[in-house]
Amino acid sequence: MDKHIEELLPFYALDVLTDEEQKLVEEYLAEHPEARQQVEEMSRSVSALPASVSPVEPPRRVKAELMARVASDAEGRARASSQSQPSRRVTRFENFFRTFGFTAAAVAAIWIIVLSIQVSRLQSEISNLNSRLAAQSESLDQIIANLPQTNQANVITVSLKGTEVQPQVQGQLIVDPDSQSAVLVISGLPQLEAGRTYQVWLINGGAPISAGLLKVDENGQGVFIVNSEESIGSFDNLGISVEPEGGSEQPTGDIVVLSEL
Amino acid sequence: MARNKNTTGISVRINSESSRLRAHNETVPERLSDEILVTQVAQGSSAALEALYDRYASTVLGISLKVIGDQASAEDVLQETFWRVWKSAVTYQPQRGSFTSWLFRIARNLAIDSYRRQTVRPQEVYMEDGSDSILEEMPDPGTDVAEQTQSILKNRQVRQALASLPRLQRQVIEMAYFYGMTRQEIAEATGEALGTIHTRARLAVQKLREELDREEFEG
Repeated sequence: MDKHIEELLPFYALDVLTDEEQKLVEEYLAEHPEARQQVEEMSRSVSALPASVSPVEPPRRVKAELMARVASDAEGRARASSQSQPSRRVTRFENFFRTFGFTAAAVAAIWIIVLSIQVSRLQSEISNLNSRLAAQSESLDQIIANLPQTNQANVITVSLKGTEVQPQVQGQLIVDPDSQSAVLVISGLPQLEAGRTYQVWLINGGAPISAGLLKVDENGQGVFIVNSEESIGSFDNLGISVEPEGGSEQPTGDIVVLSEL
Repeated sequence: MARNKNTTGISVRINSESSRLRAHNETVPERLSDEILVTQVAQGSSAALEALYDRYASTVLGISLKVIGDQASAEDVLQETFWRVWKSAVTYQPQRGSFTSWLFRIARNLAIDSYRRQTVRPQEVYMEDGSDSILEEMPDPGTDVAEQTQSILKNRQVRQALASLPRLQRQVIEMAYFYGMTRQEIAEATGEALGTIHTRARLAVQKLREELDREEFEG
C-alpha cells in the first residue's frame, strides 16, 4: 500500500481532504479493494460521531418557519405543474375558435382529415418496405449462416452475365471452390408468368445438374444458396434457365444465364 | 395533542405522529424507514419531511451547536439543513450510505461553513468522561419512549467510545470532524509535526472502531 495515501485515509473518512487529495485517494481506492475496505470501516466509525453530541430540542419557531417555507415552495411547484397540464391546451383551442371563427376552423378540420389520409398512406408504404426489408434480412441470414462453412482465404467471386435472351442480367457467385456451397446474387431477371420458374444448373462436361429453383422479387433481384454434392470448383459452368413450375430434370426452356466458373 | 407523564416526570407525546399527519391530510405511517420517507420527500411530501424533522432535528441542532457554539446560528443551520433535504431529496442515493449519514453530513458542512464565517468559539455539549445523567441526556418530547431510549443508549455508547480515546487522539478527531480542519491546519494549531497528526488520526479512528465494536454499536 502506498504510504502517503495510507496517511490520507483517516482524513478521507473524516471528509477533510482538499479536492486534490480527495481525487488522489479516490483514484487509489478504485484500484485497491483492500484500501477501500479499510476506508469503509473508518467511515463507519466516523458516521457514529454525530451520536456523541447531546441532542438539543429546537424551539417550535424553527419548525414553523421551515414548514411555512416548504408549504410555499410546494404551492409554487403545484402551480407550475398545473400550468403544463392539458387543460391549458383546451384553452388555446377555445381561443383559436374565438379568433378565427367557425369557417376557418372548418377549413382547418378538412386539412386535418387530408393530412390524416396522407399519414395513413405513408404508414402503408412503410409497412410494405418493412416487409421487403424482413425478406431481405431473411436472405442475408441464410447467407451469413453459410459463410462460416467457407474458408475465407479461398473465397473468390465469379461474375455472371445474361445470355442474348436476357442480356441485362448481372450477378455474382461468391464461392470457395473447394466447398459444396456458394452464394448466388443476381439482378435484372424479369418476373415470370404463373407456372414458370427459374432453375439454377451446375454443369460439368456438358452435363447439367440441378442446384435448385431461384425466386426473384418484383425488382428482378434474387439471392440463392447453391448447394451441391460435389465441390463447386469441380464444375465448368453455371447456368439459369426458365422451366415449368417445380423444375425439370434437364434444362428445357430459355437459358438466361450461362457463365464459366 | 394528548400527553401523559411517566414516573421520571418526563412528558411523552402520545399518538403525536398520527394526529399530526391527519392534520396535514397526508398518509405517512409512523414507522416508515428514513429511506422511504426521504423518497416521499423527493415526491413532494411535506408530511414526510416533517416526520424526518421530528426524528432528527434535535440531533442536527446538537451538531450545529457543537460546531458553531451560537444558538441563533445553529438554529439557522438546522432550518437550512432540512431545507436542503426538501430541495435535494431526489439526489439522495441509499446505496452510498444511510439517510442519517447524508443528513448529518449536510448539517456538519453547513455548520462548519457558518463557523468559519464567525469567530464564536464552539462549546462542549457532552461530558468528556461520558458521565451525563440520564435526565440530561433525555431529549425533549418528539419521539416515543422506545426511540428515546434507543437514541440515549446509542449516544452514550459513542460518547464512551470517544471518551476512551487518549485526549490528543480525540482532539484530532474533533478538530477534523466537527470543525472541518484539514490535517495541515490541525498540525499548525497544535504545533505538532504533520506525521504526528497522521499517526494520531489513524490510531484514533482505529480505536474508535474497536470500542464501538466492543459495545456492539450499530451505526
